[in-house]
Amino acid sequence: MKAIALIVTLLLGGLLIAATADLPDWGDPNSPASVHVSQYYIENSLEQTSVPNFVTSVLADYRGYDTMFETTVIFCAGLTVFAILRRAHRRRQKAVNPRPEREDKDLILQSAARMIVPMMQLFALYVVAHGHHSPGGGFQGGVILGAGFILLAVAYDLKTVLARLREKTVLRLSAVGVLIYSGIGFVCLLLGSNFLNYSAWARIMPFGPIEARSHGMLGVEVGVAITVLCIMFSLYVDLASGGEMDEGL
Amino acid sequence: MLFHLQDWILWQCDVLILVLVIASAIISLCLKDLVSSAIVFGAYSFLMCLMWTEMLAVDVAFTEAAVGAGVSTVLFLGTALHIKRRSKD
Amino acid sequence: MALNIAIIILTMAGTLFFIGTTVGLIRFPDFYTRMHAAGKGDTLSTVLILFGLALYQFHHLSVSTLLVGFKIIFIAVLIFIASPTATHAIMDAGYEAKVEYWKNKLLNWPRRQGEED
Repeated sequence: MKAIALIVTLLLGGLLIAATADLPDWGDPNSPASVHVSQYYIENSLEQTSVPNFVTSVLADYRGYDTMFETTVIFCAGLTVFAILRRAHRRRQKAVNPRPEREDKDLILQSAARMIVPMMQLFALYVVAHGHHSPGGGFQGGVILGAGFILLAVAYDLKTVLARLREKTVLRLSAVGVLIYSGIGFVCLLLGSNFLNYSAWARIMPFGPIEARSHGMLGVEVGVAITVLCIMFSLYVDLASGGEMDEGL
Repeated sequence: MLFHLQDWILWQCDVLILVLVIASAIISLCLKDLVSSAIVFGAYSFLMCLMWTEMLAVDVAFTEAAVGAGVSTVLFLGTALHIKRRSKD
Repeated sequence: MALNIAIIILTMAGTLFFIGTTVGLIRFPDFYTRMHAAGKGDTLSTVLILFGLALYQFHHLSVSTLLVGFKIIFIAVLIFIASPTATHAIMDAGYEAKVEYWKNKLLNWPRRQGEED
């Protein structure tokens, strides 16, 4: 059986390697990916949205629907893991990999975590807010924020972190993030424009339609960051404690 | 071809990272211990992050570093502690 | 000129410590001594090389080079905190899992507690 699998893998791999000869060269301006709409985005992004990093403007403005449903997919994935793994009361089973019990927690680890976590959170906020000008954005910033809480949970224990960020709060906030995204789009609809056309916000806010697109992107990124933060933390809590919420990694 | 790879980054560096990526991918598949496999997979993600940086796709590299090398390794480790640690093949 | 010499000394020292780290990682006899080599040498050499790179940015003083240099110094500070902590955590996990330590049978060293000869 293993020999057949090896042969099939080698055949498919050989086919793929043969097919890479037909791929366009790296950075080729005449490749199909570079000739259709990307030229338009590269040339007009700064004038139309006042955002220098056109990766962010494509993700959050021109292709806003994609990012909105990506956020929804992350939200649904987190809810699914929660629904499958979370159990309120369970008989104490013997752990598959029993670990030695220790009374005192590690002081060195906790002190280092206490120093690093504020830096991480500050950096994550910078990544979210500065995504217009440098690489980054809501997704990366949200993941870094969630990683800060996971680091706290690893260095201390799960109860300490859950006392600061309750499970109900996490689930509510993850829905709030998606709501912020779609709400910003829906207000555009109410103002008589298309869904997710942020320039409609200029009618009720004291800035022009071009700046409105930039600020709309920032609001959307904040929504993405909140959802990703909560879902990453919820995934860690459910997976590492086996749904019991008593002990972490 | 407008951009030659040699103009940007040393191609030796590129080959080195590619070899390391393939080696870590094969090692993480071959290991029987799931915890070691998760750690090697984190190393693979980090090397992929270096690949993306070298191809000047910095946004993708940032996502790979945060999600692949950071959070997903922790999630794999947390899962591996609650299932049988040795894989059968 | 003096800046160049400082940069060369810093990066060369960093590379030298990296080589020492690698040799220690391969040659030392057991888990604890290997982690000792990896933790100490790795941190020192990375911080030295990063300081060399930060100084390299200060050839032309302007706002952008200062910004890049200070970002590199921030990375060095982060590594200075995080890398020894990670080494400690790995070492502690090994101690909890009762990894065997190296014993020199000829010298009967290290002695166990309460053992006299």
